[in-house]
Amino acid sequence: MAGVPKKSPSQLPWVLLLAAILIVLAAGTWGAVRKIDYAWRWNRVPQYFFYHGEEAVKIPFDGRVEQITPAGRKTSVRLLSEEGTAVTVKVDKELLKVSEGDELFEGDTVGFKYRWRLGPLMFGLWTTLWISGVASVLALVIGLLTGLCRVSKNLTLRGLAAIYVEFIRGTPLLVQIFIAYFFIGTVFNLNRNVAGVGALGIFAGAYVAEIVRAGIQSIPRGQMEAARSLGMSVFQAMIHIILPQALKRILPPLAGQFISLIKDSSLVSVIAITDLTKSGREIITSTFATFEVWLTVAAMYLVVTSLMSQLVFYLERRFAVSD
Amino acid sequence: MIEATNVVKVFSGRSVTVRAVDGVSAQVAKGEVVVVIGPSGSGKSTFLRCINGLEAFNEGHILIDGVDLADRKTDLNAVRAEVGMVFQQFNLFPHKTVLENLTLAQRVVRKRSRKDAGVKARNLLSKVGIAEKESEYPSRLSGGQQQRVAIARALAMDPKIMLFDEPTSALDPEMVGEVLDVMKQLAREGMTMCVVTHEMGFAREVADRVLFMDEGKLVEEGTPEHFFTNPTEARTKLFLSQVL
Repeated sequence: MAGVPKKSPSQLPWVLLLAAILIVLAAGTWGAVRKIDYAWRWNRVPQYFFYHGEEAVKIPFDGRVEQITPAGRKTSVRLLSEEGTAVTVKVDKELLKVSEGDELFEGDTVGFKYRWRLGPLMFGLWTTLWISGVASVLALVIGLLTGLCRVSKNLTLRGLAAIYVEFIRGTPLLVQIFIAYFFIGTVFNLNRNVAGVGALGIFAGAYVAEIVRAGIQSIPRGQMEAARSLGMSVFQAMIHIILPQALKRILPPLAGQFISLIKDSSLVSVIAITDLTKSGREIITSTFATFEVWLTVAAMYLVVTSLMSQLVFYLERRFAVSD
Repeated sequence: MIEATNVVKVFSGRSVTVRAVDGVSAQVAKGEVVVVIGPSGSGKSTFLRCINGLEAFNEGHILIDGVDLADRKTDLNAVRAEVGMVFQQFNLFPHKTVLENLTLAQRVVRKRSRKDAGVKARNLLSKVGIAEKESEYPSRLSGGQQQRVAIARALAMDPKIMLFDEPTSALDPEMVGEVLDVMKQLAREGMTMCVVTHEMGFAREVADRVLFMDEGKLVEEGTPEHFFTNPTEARTKLFLSQVL
């Protein structure tokens, strides 16, 4: 804004330098891969996203094929039961297995239909997303409560919260997942999903708690004093004055934590939850396309985390109205 | 209205303990305007903050309308709702509009309806002369406007007493007048006020009584005439010779 209209120096040389560095890196990678003589088989990957599968169409009763009429690329088959009820099913033209007048028993195959289906990478992605989502909500709830305890005047609450945070931050997530599944999961008879999501949520909750605590402490004391001077209780002041402001400030670090959580969720594959990472490993055992699959899996994580960053960027701008 | 007897407030750090307020006794009657002056660090702000319980004091009693703040059974939130406070740094809620700043506590603490709170708030905003800013956020207002909103926010609770903690100290000089004008108007309307300030002109013009504090102690009190023309204590004379 400051007055002097100065001609900004051209950014072009730096853009060119950036491009040159990226090209050198890409060329280097390509050269290195050539050297180890790896046969790339990218064509094996797409089928693990979507594949075209056959689905059998079966007759729901004992009866016979009354009529077969072509309908474009499909064929319409009219089936009549011994009691006289009729149903019409459609199958693919080339995969019709019956002819008019055939007598069929219940469950016999009339023909097949082609259909697009989701491959293991998509199922893995879905698992990763819901595990991260549920764990994030859990982490937010735990983190908010623990963060409030951390700034509480009550020594017991403060102590408990501090011990929890120290304990979780001081031990590896992988070990926590093993403890959650093999020890706590055995004692309380938890299934692997509950143990996995629980471990992730409790882990991230400790970090969220520290973020929340820092956020609350970053709000000037005067805000709490002003709220109290108007007769509000500590709770009312927290709800209406402190937390809304703190939440706005902690949005960026909170987003970073949730992005970490999405990545950390790959560790639940060690307790045999088929998330994106485990799907990738399973695909490699059947394709040996190690490089392609891991690169694809990495790209998929990157897409999810980038979308998350964009979302937060949007929220930040919306919250900025009162600044 | 306010009766303080032997109030002591000690701040204890690791190595030093400071008796910020050291046995102060003072009264403010209904409808009276009392101005507290003194050098910085004299404990006058701390004393003011003790009066609405923002600062818990270690010894003594403060009675607000007969309710003792030192009594553990006293509901401090209820007392604070009756005692308005205006801060040096305004302390408006930056995430709320001007109107919301005025209506929030009315609705949360006084349980007024959105409509009633809004009517009250708009009346007060036009009284302090910023009715047109009701939907702005505080950051868009000048310091003087923010402080006037802060005064209106405190008044919205219908307080019996108003406390001012150096309300003009953080303002640019050209904005001091507009805030003092609002305070003078309040005084004329008979509001009970206790004002910590460095504005000697305000003290002389508006105060019914002036208290002079130094090093946590109440050194001298009297009418403005007595205080500014004929102070008895040596410390008061020294202070006045420095500021006037």
